[in-house]
This record gives sequence, structure tokens and C-alpha cells, in this order.
Amino acid sequence: MLDSEGAASAPEFPVGLRVLLVDDDPTCLKILDRMLRKCLYHVTTCSQAMAALNILRAKKECFDLVLSDVYMPDMDGFKLLEHIGLEMDLPVIMMSADDHKDVVMKGVTHGACDYIIKPVRMESLKNIWQHVVRKKKNESKELDNSGSLDDNDRQRGVVDEGDNASSVCAGNWKSVKRKKVEGKDDDDDDEAVEEHEDPSHAKKSRVVWSVDLHQKFVNAVHHLGVDKAVPKKILELMSVAGLTRENVASHLQKYRLYLRRVSMPQYQGRLDSFASCQDSSYGPVGLIDSFNVHGLAVSTQIPLQNRTSIHPGPRSNTNVGIGASTVGQLGLIASGAPPNMVFPSVQQMNKQMSNTRGSSSNIQSSQLGQTPSVVQPYGSMSLQFGEEMPNFLTSSQTSNFSLPGGTMSEQMNKSLTMQQTHNLPQFSFSQPRSNISILHSSGQLLNNNASNSSRFSSALMQQTSSNESSNHILGRLGITTNITSSPANYMKSSFSSFPQDLYVDAQSSFMNELSGNSYPSASCIGVSPQTTSFQLLGSNHDLKGKIKMFQSSLMSHHNTVATVSNRDNNSSVTVKEEIISLSNDIDVEKTTSFAQHKNANIDDDSIRLHYGVGPDMSYQDVLLDDIQNELMTVVGNQQQERTGNTDSMFDYSV
Amino acid sequence: MEYSSLHRQLATMKKSFFDQGFLDEQFFQIEELQDDVSPNFVEEVVTLFFKDSLRLMGNIDHALEKFPQDFDRLDSLIHQLKGSASSIGAAKMKNECTVFRDFCDKENQEGCIRSFQKVKKEHACLRQKLENYFQLLRQVGPVAKATRSGN
Repeated sequence: MLDSEGAASAPEFPVGLRVLLVDDDPTCLKILDRMLRKCLYHVTTCSQAMAALNILRAKKECFDLVLSDVYMPDMDGFKLLEHIGLEMDLPVIMMSADDHKDVVMKGVTHGACDYIIKPVRMESLKNIWQHVVRKKKNESKELDNSGSLDDNDRQRGVVDEGDNASSVCAGNWKSVKRKKVEGKDDDDDDEAVEEHEDPSHAKKSRVVWSVDLHQKFVNAVHHLGVDKAVPKKILELMSVAGLTRENVASHLQKYRLYLRRVSMPQYQGRLDSFASCQDSSYGPVGLIDSFNVHGLAVSTQIPLQNRTSIHPGPRSNTNVGIGASTVGQLGLIASGAPPNMVFPSVQQMNKQMSNTRGSSSNIQSSQLGQTPSVVQPYGSMSLQFGEEMPNFLTSSQTSNFSLPGGTMSEQMNKSLTMQQTHNLPQFSFSQPRSNISILHSSGQLLNNNASNSSRFSSALMQQTSSNESSNHILGRLGITTNITSSPANYMKSSFSSFPQDLYVDAQSSFMNELSGNSYPSASCIGVSPQTTSFQLLGSNHDLKGKIKMFQSSLMSHHNTVATVSNRDNNSSVTVKEEIISLSNDIDVEKTTSFAQHKNANIDDDSIRLHYGVGPDMSYQDVLLDDIQNELMTVVGNQQQERTGNTDSMFDYSV
Repeated sequence: MEYSSLHRQLATMKKSFFDQGFLDEQFFQIEELQDDVSPNFVEEVVTLFFKDSLRLMGNIDHALEKFPQDFDRLDSLIHQLKGSASSIGAAKMKNECTVFRDFCDKENQEGCIRSFQKVKKEHACLRQKLENYFQLLRQVGPVAKATRSGN
């Protein structure tokens, strides 16, 4: 206490100024501590904001000044500043190496007395006492209408403020707080009136908003509703003796400003919660496994059970959650849900994604980095997406990915390549592809024509259940699941952003263009989830390249698919027409997409994608063949059930 | 005599640090904090810095590996490192951190990786130099003190 120190040798103020130093960097902390001691200040150091807040809450009277870093891991320095302003009303000086004007401005608006740029020099610290004096002076001026503001009073004020800090009196603190934060001129009158009305307050006692008091206040405000809360009612709810309406009024004003300010950082918090929501949505991710499978199965008649069994665990990655919901959508579609349903949800997904993306990629990253197996869901997701969200590939919106393709895609590709080659033996590449096309077609149909597509998809479902295509699909899933973890991380992130873009694009594409457009992309994605999707994630260029490849293959596939489905199902006739139109659209889309996308650095990226399949064309050829095979199988089954003309089927073949 | 030659050596060494831009005037600030109360303050702080910065650089390495596209995270991490380096006057290291940060702003992953290699290099280089310096200082120090007090 200044008194005791003063008693010892009557050191001249600011000697003995009691400073609380908060900085997470140990080097800075040590240096600043030494500097402050050199200034003959009394220093308490703290490396965490929460600890500092606790210290202050416990011993607010023991400090004259707080010196805090801006960027701290456990709490934003500005948030700490707010808390101190609300609860303790101590002068706070912010420090940072960041000298951007907006950050400095933030410090000012949050009520910092000063903002020191790091690295801090002794000279800067020598004069920090002025803020303490200024504050006291302003306080005493408010409180002591008749009091003189000589040095003694000031010093005494410093001491007295501390002594009386704990007393709950009306109004005094308001002036101090007001000085500290933005000016609240309307408080002046209140305080002045208060001064006159409460002569007992000449002693500079003030309302100290302790944690409890503030909590009561907050409870009352929230009970009334932040927007509807009025000081009178808050006061009644709080029922604290000695508290006046004016106290509450100014505190409410401060609180409202605080809420507004923290709504930004709360965005982070929201993100965090959003991230956790994602986590919870990842539960659905687990569903993805089954969901995707279902989706796939629905559309491709691939047994869900098989799917799930193949990739039970990994799917439930957090990132997958995002995709999961997407997949879920797709699944819905596959199961015959009206296309409109998909879009809204997709939109929501997009919104979610954009929120996530917009707010911080960190969350995504953290989400992403959780499990390597994310890749797996992605693979399946891509399948889903590819089928459902074709256009995103072609749409320039893909460039909206917050995650830059660049290295990530490279890394992903590399790992993918490694994995893929490894996995290839297990599953024929073509197999998954064929599934995709099937899915695509079903997806397409669904999008274009809800009823028809649902019929078609259901038809497919019925037919494909016993198909080997299920193996393909499963195999395909397997491939995706085998992706290594490192790309997985990337994939996760890309995945999370991926679905979003997918949705965005898909939606727009769906809305704006015939589903045919999306078809090619979808198949692209579906066909080579690892390559395409990763590519997609990694770079739009890759995607475009892939799209090109797939589009060409799709074209042929479309025809085939259309034919096949036509044959088997009466309802699929419409589907067939759709498919045909889709095929046409695909051509159009292909051209469009090529036109849209200027770059197609497929070569660079596709190299990475080499699964061992070989050059693109052979890739496509395989795909084509497989798809045709798949389709034939599917159709064949249906044929058995119905009669149809097989002639037309193969007429479409490319 | 040998002491003064050591002194001269020390002075030359230190001057070279500044001339070559390894250290800046902030280092003087640190030196000014050293006194009888904290006789080894400079070395303590420098040692603390190099230890803590290893941790920070490890975080950056980890982030570059796991979340290479998360430029916000990288930016935040390099900001910490930069603040730390600037507090002891490690000028070259601080500058490389700024370069890294620029690459983060541009979301240039390649650039980030490359510049971080430079950051690490500067870190190692400065560490070596200061270790030599303190070694020499230790030889001179007590004698210097004695000499001073003796005077």
C-alpha cells in the first residue's frame, strides 16, 4: 500500500505504484517485470489472463494499474480489459507488437488508458503512473465537487479509492468508469445530482461492481431481456441495498456496450461452439457412414450394410460431420426426398460452412486435424457430393474455398497417390467409378425430377442391391478410407470447405442449370474421389482437369445409364429422358465449365493423382467400361423383372 | 592487460552483432536492466528467450505440417515469436518473422515454409553468436566487476 511505503520513507509518487503485469510470453514478462521494478514500481506478474482476473477480483484494492498484453492464448486482452473495466475500474494499459491502427483503436474503444507498442522501452513505462493519476483526478473531480485537486488530495485519493473500493455506494465509480471507457455524458448529470443528493459520498466511495453484484445485475438483465431491461426494473430485481437507479443505469450502459463489443469475439466463441456443433453433427457423420452408404445404396442399390461394415469407424470424423450432413442430404435425395429439400439443407450447410469458414479456419483446422480417417468420409462424401453437387466443380465458386489448394492438394495428392496405389489392388478403380455414375444418374434424376428420380433411384436400389456394384462401391469406399492421415487432415479441412462449395455450386447449378450440368462434375467427383475430390479441395485447377476427364467419360456413361434405366423401369423412362438430356447438358456443361475455368493444370496435379491407373484416357476408358458393366448389371436385374426394349439402351452408347 | 584485450574482444564482438544487424537497440535496453540487483539479467533473458522460442518454433513446425493452410493460426504463432524476438532485440530473426507473416497474409504456403526455414536459421545463428558472447563475458565479467569495484 502506498501508505505503508510512504510511511517508511515517504517515497515520492509514483514510487511503489502497484502494477499488475499480464503477459503470456515469458521473455517479455521477465523484461517488463525488470523494467517496472527499475521504475521502482511494485510489480505482480501473471502469465495468464484468467489468473490476472482472479487476482484482481480477489485483491482489486491492491493494484493501481494493470499492464496487459493484447494477444494471449487463454483470453483476448481486450476481453480482459472489458472485465477489468466492468468489475474493477482500474486503469489498464495494453501492449502489443501489433501496431495496426485498428488494433490500437480497439484498445481505445475498449477503454484502455494507453496502448504501448512492443518492444517496450523503459521510457514508455516510466510514465505509466500518469494514467493512475489522471483517473483518480477525474474521479475525485466527480466525487469531490468542492474538493480541491491538489497533489495531496490526489495521492490521498489514490489511497482512499483503494480503501473505499469495497464499499457499495452510489455513483462514484461511474465517473471513473466513464472516464475510462467512452464518455457517457448522460452519467454526468446523474452523478452530479447524486453528489448533491448524497453528501455522504463526498468521501469518494463508489459502487464497486463486485462479481456477485455484477452477476445479480446480469441475472436481472437477462431475466428482463437485454433489450427490454430498464434500470428501475433491474434495480428491483437485484434488490441490493444502497444501489441506486443511476448506478444501475450507467452500469447497464456499460454492459450493453460490452455485449456489443464481445459479440465479435463471441463469434469466435460461436465458432468454438459451432465447432462443437460440428462435433455433434459429426455424430451424424457416423451416420454418414451408414448414411452415405444408404445414400449410395439407395441410389446405387448397393447394400448399405456392406458399406457400413466396411467403413464403420473412420467415417465418424468430425469433418465428416459437415460432409455427413451433406451426404445425408444426398441420402435423402437418393431415398426420394424432393430435391427442394436438399437445397434448403444444403443452403444451411453452406451457411454453416460459410460461417465456419468466414469466422476462422482454425476451427476447421482443429476439426480437421482430429482424425486421419476423415479422408474416408470424404471419399464417400465426394461420392455423394459428386453425384449431387456436380456443378460446383465447374462453378467458379469453388475458388471460394478458404483453404488454398496449393500445397495441401499436393500433399494430399501425394499421400493419396501413395494410398491409392496401395489400395488399387484391392479395388478396381473402375468399380467405384461405375458406382458413381450410377449414383450420379440417380442423383441427377433426383435433382431434376423429384418423383422420377426417386422412382429411378428406388428402382436402382431394388436392382442394385444384389449387384457387384455394391462391391465396387464398397471397394471405393474402402479406397477412400485407406487414405493416409496426413492428407486426411488436409482433406478434412478441405472437406469442410469442400462441402460448402459443393453445396453452393450444386445449389446454384441445380437451380440455374439442368442437372445435367452437375452430372459430369458429379461423376468426376464420384469417380475418383481421391483424386478428384482431393484435387478439388486442393485446387480448382485440378478439379477442372478432372472434370474434363470425367465429363468425357460421363458422357458415354450417361447414355449408357439412361439406356439402362430406361429399359428396366417404366418410371425410369422419364429418368432416361432426363439422363439423355443430362448427357446433352453435360456436353454443354463441359464446354461451359471449360470456358469457365481458365486454368486446368490438371497435368501437374493429375500426376499426383496417379493411382496407378495410368493416363487419363485409360482411366476414363476403364471407368466407362465399368460403368457400363454396372449399368448393365443393374439394368439386367431390372430387366428380369420387367420387360423392356433393350435396343434403345445401347443406342445411346457413346 | 589480458582483461582489457578480452574486453576489447567483447566490445568488438558486440559491435559486430549490431553492425551486421543481428541485434538492435532493444538489446541495449536489456543491458540497461542489468545491475547489481540482477547481475546476470541479460544472459538470463537471452537464455529464456532461446528456450521459449524453441517451443514457439516447434508449434509453428507442427502447424506447418498439420495445418499448412491455416494461415490464421500460423499468423498468430509467428506473431508470438516475433514479439518475443523483438523484446530482446533479435533484429534479423524479427525481420524473418515479418517476412513469414507477409506470406501468411498472402496465403502463400511455399513462402511460409521457406521463410520459416530462414527464421530457424537466424535463430540458430544468433544463438551461437550470443553463446560465444556470454562465454567470453563470463571470462571477463567477474574480473570486470572486480576491476570496477576496485577502481
